[in-house]
Amino acid sequence: MHRKNIVKLAASMLTILALVAFYMVPVAMSQDDMTQVPADAFGTLERPRVAFAHDAHNEKAGIEECVVCHHGKTEDGKMDKENSSEGDPCSSCHAVKPTDGATPLMRAYHRQCITCHEAKGAGPVACGQCHAK
Amino acid sequence: MTEFYVFVSGPLAWIAWGFFIIGSIYRLVSMYALAKAKDGSSLAYMSLPYSLRSILNWLIPFNTMGWKSDPLMTVATFLFHIGFLLVAVFLGAHAVLWDTAFGISIPSLPGGFGDAVSFVVIAACAVFAYRRLALPHVKGVTRPKDWFSLILVALPFVTGVLAYHQVGPVLLMTTLHVLAGELLLALIPFTRLSHALFALLTRSYMGSEFGAVRHAKDW
Repeated sequence: MHRKNIVKLAASMLTILALVAFYMVPVAMSQDDMTQVPADAFGTLERPRVAFAHDAHNEKAGIEECVVCHHGKTEDGKMDKENSSEGDPCSSCHAVKPTDGATPLMRAYHRQCITCHEAKGAGPVACGQCHAK
Repeated sequence: MTEFYVFVSGPLAWIAWGFFIIGSIYRLVSMYALAKAKDGSSLAYMSLPYSLRSILNWLIPFNTMGWKSDPLMTVATFLFHIGFLLVAVFLGAHAVLWDTAFGISIPSLPGGFGDAVSFVVIAACAVFAYRRLALPHVKGVTRPKDWFSLILVALPFVTGVLAYHQVGPVLLMTTLHVLAGELLLALIPFTRLSHALFALLTRSYMGSEFGAVRHAKDW
């Protein structure tokens, strides 16, 4: 094979590899591996852990914008529904026992999930539906 | 079903509280008017110290002759009433409702303990039922309205235990539990459960009678 052709072949194969890798970035960055609501911050748990398949939930619920759930914080410490905070765990702002007047983690979780499910009339709303044995 | 739960746990809860509060005021005011009309002089003999003495002494198990003479009832009724109030306010799941709905953090019973207390309350209800069925002096004064009140008060605990242990469809059982609690709350002023409003007053009346009028060595 001509040397020029080998370089061409190598270049195109590398391009394909790069493209494949590039297209896989969103998959790698997604929350496909997330199956439960993170609850380790609570220590000993009173109730069973809550199943939550991030990507399947959002597909079913038709949620495309991260900020719908991953809201930010305004300068005066209020909920910011414009700027998202995806990537940061909820517990980075919502301590289990906050001293800065923030919403406690459990209240934030309960309100985040139940308020939306009640408004949409879809998804679990009663205790045992999420905390299933 | 989710919409129905949202209605039951939202607007209907406020309606039940409305029945309870307005109904309670109505019953207390109309009972006062009735006492004034039929037994006006007794109001003049009401004594705060003798009332408090009577109430305090009857709050201690086995302290009065009444409690001593009926040990089964004494144990059952103290366990029932303390358990009822503990579970109604401080059960873990109820504390979560205070927290989620109103942002109020209150101490709560550990899960296993709250569950155990609920079973104790149901057992106490069984004792109450046994007395009404088996003991002649209780059976003789039992009317259908007594059974109605007993069922009314037992239902939230039975459905609550089933919902907690996830027996049967969870959403349906939780909805039934909330409905049972609301029915109980709304009907307290209008059933035999109105003793929750009147018990302290009837105890005060008797304490005043025995203490301030008869000077009896009794509470």
